[in-house]
Amino acid sequence: MASRSFLTTRRSVLALSTAAMIGAHRHAAAAVPKDELRVGAHVSLAPTWFDPAETSGIITPFMLLYAMHDAIMKAMPGNAMAPCLAESCTMATDGLSYALALRKGVHFHNGEEMTAEDVKFSLERYRGAASNSLKERVARIDIQDPYRLTIRLNDPWPDFLTFYASATGAGWIVPKRYVEQVGEDGFKKAPVGAGPYRFVSFTPGVELVCEAFDGYWRKKPSIRRLVFKVIPDEATRLAALQRGEIDIAYSIRGELADELVRTAGLTLKPAVGSAPFWLYFPEQWDPQSPWHDKRVRQAASLALDLETMNQALTLGHSRLTGSVFPENFEFFWQPPRPVYNPVAASKLLAEAGLARGFDAGEYFCDTSYANIAEVVLNNLREVGIRVKLRPLERAAFFKAYSEKKLKNIVQGASGAFGNCATRAEAFVAKGGTYAYGSYPDIDALFAEQAVQMDLAKRTAILQRLQQLVHEKAIYAPIWQLAFLSGVGPRVGQSGFGLIKGFVYTAPYEDLTLKGQG
Amino acid sequence: MKQFIARRIGYSLLSLFLLSVTIFLFVRVTGDPMTLLVEPGARPEDIENMRHQFGLDQPLWVQYWLFVSSFFTGDLGQSFYYRTPVLELYFQRLPNSLLLAAVAMALSLVIGIPSGILAAVRVGGFWDGFGKTFALLGLSLPQFWVGLVLILFFSVYLGWLPSSGSGGIAHLLMPAFTLGWYFAAAHMRLTRSSMLEVLGSEYIKLARLKGLPEALVIGKHALKNALIPVITLAGINLVVMINVAVVVETVFAWPGIGRLLYEGVTFRDFPVVQCVVVIGGSMIILVNLLVDLLYAIIDPRIRLES
Repeated sequence: MASRSFLTTRRSVLALSTAAMIGAHRHAAAAVPKDELRVGAHVSLAPTWFDPAETSGIITPFMLLYAMHDAIMKAMPGNAMAPCLAESCTMATDGLSYALALRKGVHFHNGEEMTAEDVKFSLERYRGAASNSLKERVARIDIQDPYRLTIRLNDPWPDFLTFYASATGAGWIVPKRYVEQVGEDGFKKAPVGAGPYRFVSFTPGVELVCEAFDGYWRKKPSIRRLVFKVIPDEATRLAALQRGEIDIAYSIRGELADELVRTAGLTLKPAVGSAPFWLYFPEQWDPQSPWHDKRVRQAASLALDLETMNQALTLGHSRLTGSVFPENFEFFWQPPRPVYNPVAASKLLAEAGLARGFDAGEYFCDTSYANIAEVVLNNLREVGIRVKLRPLERAAFFKAYSEKKLKNIVQGASGAFGNCATRAEAFVAKGGTYAYGSYPDIDALFAEQAVQMDLAKRTAILQRLQQLVHEKAIYAPIWQLAFLSGVGPRVGQSGFGLIKGFVYTAPYEDLTLKGQG
Repeated sequence: MKQFIARRIGYSLLSLFLLSVTIFLFVRVTGDPMTLLVEPGARPEDIENMRHQFGLDQPLWVQYWLFVSSFFTGDLGQSFYYRTPVLELYFQRLPNSLLLAAVAMALSLVIGIPSGILAAVRVGGFWDGFGKTFALLGLSLPQFWVGLVLILFFSVYLGWLPSSGSGGIAHLLMPAFTLGWYFAAAHMRLTRSSMLEVLGSEYIKLARLKGLPEALVIGKHALKNALIPVITLAGINLVVMINVAVVVETVFAWPGIGRLLYEGVTFRDFPVVQCVVVIGGSMIILVNLLVDLLYAIIDPRIRLES
């Protein structure tokens, strides 16, 4: 089935012809300055991504934030919440305040020293994802001295650091005086941060040029210039990598990735992000539906040949975690690994009175991932679950999904930031945006964890919640998708995979070119 | 004549109005842009905030009124994706599109017109067959495929040209050829048919009977008349090249208006799509209006008939 999908898309035809032609020849190298790293970006870079205050809750802006800015705490190699601009962040015993001790001697690219005023200003100025939650819950910010401040909350909020110092832009610091001086638009045109690279120039739709900031507190970047070149077409990106015009090419998907692997000098770099995929059974709360029977849902899960699908579509690099919660999220509980067992699936269906299989209606998915759906459909059909594919355009799909208009089977996914609690809120708990129903025991656990300040106890509650999600077979997990990128021969340390769950290359100050330090 | 001009301007304004309504409704029919600007699973309050920020929570007629009134004030709104005024984005990309379109148009005329003349003069011969094949390929080969084949051959294999981007003449050659070939084929076909029609006319026969050299008959008497529809088409094609070279600009990462439109469609960036379509449409309407007026000036029958 995978091969059928492969051959029926325009992209696939392109990929095949591209692969055939590229594979036949050696590439001629283009001249790139010795101390410059060129990154082929798959999306157009938006100036709004230069400003942490505008972070909208998608991961892409962090591709640039990691270069030009720095945060109080952020995900770093080996630590999902590593202290950066703050040396420490201590929660008060009552959970009502967080004391920040800032790193001394940190400078912005314009030479100004970072102080508590900048931290306060950045949080107050923040208007991106979850800004309402932060503003409603933060009572005030008290500055003790230029290097110490306290963020006071209205009520204890166990997820404060997840929102402040994880994936929103609220904890990313901008220079107050400079922003006030140049204004909001001026800042986007010439951003100044405290990151390892300073902004040099931006040509919309073409490239962003950054230069190493020698005064970066963590270490001096070894690569002098960083150029993000926008190349939206995947095949062109691969050609540019082949030719040596770029050193890193983001997002080279399965079909072309196979060719990349076969090209001498290039390396495939998979990075598993925070986007699990799953099958959801919205009719499981309807006693008239076959999906009401847990055995039928379990049968669907057992019918999925995930290993083969993983090999075919993401060259085996996606993670088969068996969960709808990302494994890199706080409070993650590892369920038993998914098993492919069509015989057991058929047996469960027979026990549920569906020995001859059944017509399960429609299978809804986002068109961008219809290739996954086709494999799943075939797997389900093999055990007698007959469904019709209904791919919907991405926006229409998520609109219908969130408005709870879909039936039968939904192939869903989410790369939203947060932790297992925030993920449960949207997809499992009562009233969740994408929850078509809920279970009282899960809802009780969800409510309990929301006010639990003791980390160990909260972890136990949230892990029990995930266990129930697994036991009730609310979902049939597929995988945590791997983001495939390519790296050229000049690159020493590419930075892929250094930060768990982060699909782009980072931290930039750690990147090296061969022959450099 | 005044009545004729007033009527043509009236039709143009009506077309513009219909275009604005159509594009305004069409982009909204495609779905909610917020689902593409946040991750699935994002907090509903964030989605609502963004919807409010972009004015998408207002009634449709209010949104339309704001769109139309902003058009008159010269402020076509802010891009959802870039958070930058769309007109600024448009004019940032315009020089690139003008450059690409100018070179592609020059190529298409340089290739299309002579080959069309040659095909018409040698009907049924080698050059006619060659021209027809050239036109058939130009019109039927998808631009994304032609573009990729050129990249693979000239960039990856030979290493002569950069695979993508903008900056110098080398960057321009492949996208201009890819874009120009399609239009060269169209120009070639029109030149050929137009020349055939003119070559069969009485005054050409008379010119030949008078013993004028064949080069003069073709080059002076026939070509001048045959080129009128070609130039008209080229004018409209130039507007199309400037505004909707979507595939070529995407494949070659050329930072023009076509790619801006592609990004606008991809991210449901309503203001961007509206801006590009309305400006592009206005250009076509303007070109048509000018052509109509010129025809009326050149040919009195047109204005008298109307």
